[in-house]
Amino acid sequence: MAALHPLLANPLAHGVFWSAVTIGLYLLAKRVYRRWGYWWLMPMALTPVLVGVVVVALHAGYGDYISGTRWLVLLLGPATVAFAIPIYEHRQLIRAQWPVLLLGMIAGSVTAVASSWALASLLGLNGVLRLSLLPRSISTPFAMEVSGDIGGVPELTAVFVIVTGVVGAVIGDVLLARVPLRSALARGALFGIAAHGAGTARAHQIGATEGAVSGLVMVLVGLMNVLVAPLVMGLLQ
Amino acid sequence: MKPQSPLLRATVPARRLIRRSRLLQIALVLAIWLLGEGLVRLSGLPLPGGLIGMALLLWLLLSGRLSVFSARRGADWFLADLLLFFVPAALAVVDHREFFGLIGVKILLVILLSTAAVMLVTGLTVELSLRWRQALGRAASSSR
Repeated sequence: MAALHPLLANPLAHGVFWSAVTIGLYLLAKRVYRRWGYWWLMPMALTPVLVGVVVVALHAGYGDYISGTRWLVLLLGPATVAFAIPIYEHRQLIRAQWPVLLLGMIAGSVTAVASSWALASLLGLNGVLRLSLLPRSISTPFAMEVSGDIGGVPELTAVFVIVTGVVGAVIGDVLLARVPLRSALARGALFGIAAHGAGTARAHQIGATEGAVSGLVMVLVGLMNVLVAPLVMGLLQ
Repeated sequence: MKPQSPLLRATVPARRLIRRSRLLQIALVLAIWLLGEGLVRLSGLPLPGGLIGMALLLWLLLSGRLSVFSARRGADWFLADLLLFFVPAALAVVDHREFFGLIGVKILLVILLSTAAVMLVTGLTVELSLRWRQALGRAASSSR
């Protein structure tokens, strides 16, 4: 941080600066996306790129940056609590269709693990890297837990989880434009299972039902994987 | 109208206030989250505190102890700009320069193709089993 203005040596000013950069560029990305609407301009993809350019241009490291903006990531906690509201408001739908959701969750989880393993092997990614790629479909706290259980590196998995979220939020839209999914249940499950938090945020923008289903599926699939992973590992050994 | 205990009746002015104020609702969601974090610390459960908080809020709503109007506007405030909270975490890639090469392209390819596969399989599974269930339901009701 020495390269920056001496004022920013003050932790408070440092926090305010990086938070302002992040929030400002996020608001800018939202306007840009609303104006032009290309999928690759989605705020979820555009904002990290813009902020990344500023971080690299100012010769700041990730440690510098995150020490000023960690509070934003912490807000994911209360945001998870907030998901109780859409889930509560769609409780009838969820109660009526839980077997369908469960089936989708099992199919999605098996596909996630199998396709990650197969694709990684095909491209010559082996060992720890391949293991760390397996749990990336589930949300961060769960994914890091599973990654450690199966012999991956939790920190690497955390990065893959985030990239998956960004990629998923973007390609989910592209897929929905081409695959005729008529039910909000299917559209929500698609985001919740493959792209966790970021996907759920996107689903929430598409519709309230989609957001509720996505949030519920994200949480349940995370729980399911945490419980199942040690069992599967036990069976394989 | 359910008969209310004097204790519950005493909270009525507070409840009325919460329904009107978005700021208080945001504070309520934050308080439930902190309670969830506290419970996780105390119990040593390997679960995120936000999840415990979500279960707690869901229980409050389902049991009728809290009205949805006392929390909805606060919750909406957190959900509207959820994407923003992910941005700082995504910047972790900056410290992994090795990913800005062939290996990064490979990893991105795995993530891209696998995520698309998971989405297709899940979306189609849910959509088709939903239609199948509805068709079964129609068949059952027409044969009666």
